[in-house]
Amino acid sequence: MSGSETEFNAIQISCLSEMANIGVGHAATAIAQMTSKSFQMSVPIVRSVELESIPLLVGSVEELTVGIYMPVDGDVPGHMAFLFPWRSAQAFWRMLLGQAPDSPEQVGELEASVMLEVGNILNSSFLNAISEMCGLPIHATPPLLAIEMAAAILQTIVLEATNTDSHALSIETKVSCEEEHAEGHFLFIPTLGGLKRLFGALGLSEAA
Amino acid sequence: MLGTQLLVGMAEIQVSKEGPLFVCLGLGSCIGLAAYDPVARVAGMVHVMLPAAFADKPVDKPGKFADTGVSAMLEQMARLGASKSRIVVAMAGGAQVFNFGSGNSGRLDIGKRNADAVEEQVRLLGLRCLGKDVGGNQGRTMTFDSGSGLVKVRTVTSMERALCNLRGS
Repeated sequence: MSGSETEFNAIQISCLSEMANIGVGHAATAIAQMTSKSFQMSVPIVRSVELESIPLLVGSVEELTVGIYMPVDGDVPGHMAFLFPWRSAQAFWRMLLGQAPDSPEQVGELEASVMLEVGNILNSSFLNAISEMCGLPIHATPPLLAIEMAAAILQTIVLEATNTDSHALSIETKVSCEEEHAEGHFLFIPTLGGLKRLFGALGLSEAA
Repeated sequence: MLGTQLLVGMAEIQVSKEGPLFVCLGLGSCIGLAAYDPVARVAGMVHVMLPAAFADKPVDKPGKFADTGVSAMLEQMARLGASKSRIVVAMAGGAQVFNFGSGNSGRLDIGKRNADAVEEQVRLLGLRCLGKDVGGNQGRTMTFDSGSGLVKVRTVTSMERALCNLRGS
């Protein structure tokens, strides 16, 4: 990403990667406890990208996807989302409800609330970990759920991010459970102001 | 240009002499607007993200906003020989895809505001709109085959269907 005001240095980026790594570790533990299965999370990739290119980062843009979106409040506000391909979402439903809907039309209140809870737990454990490390209050707001083409979900989140002063920096990781063939993508887009406060709290504020 | 595909990403404007297939993938609350001058055979598409440019920030990409994007596309088409008085358009998108969860009513309703803002621009610029598929909860992929004039929309649960033909009738 060009433009000097949005550049971050290597130390800041690697610090952010490390924090995100710990955060997703906590999230993986939480989801493992919820489902009694073992989950792996890949090392988070911190990318400095144009917000508009985010919808194209996930492989199959038109694939049916379940997306859980949570706006983030507190000192490091931003936008957070988990996206599961439909088949992986079905695996989650089977793990947690014993059965899964065959098509999006069959998703009722119960299925929706289970998925919202999955998002809630993943996101809250990530945010709590980050919040403890930097000593700043950060909290998730109630999640929203969409069952749609991946690109349509991501575009809507990017719109929200564009409306705030969000920085074009995304933290992305893959969550997977081999046993159940479930995987998902995690995305966090902090606001520019939030990132500055985060680096400030960590003593890394200069040169931001 | 025949047979080529032009992906119109968020905030982008693409224009061309007729031939290519213009595609807006997975429109959520964004709007895709296809435009065509059947006499000059010039086509264009813009992928609008937001209703209006921010008052306190410079416009980095005119295609991002309804109030700058539609006219910017027309200017680019005019450079290829199109005339505003002949241009016809079709639009799709403006959905509210997050339809489960607490407190979603009224929030994220940006899709509707986008659709209204693009329609307003179309009206102000005196363009004739031949097809419209906006609102609802479904994301859409919009294609515009500038060779045949055909505008199509598909969703994740429905087959691709024709919206209109910008070559008329």
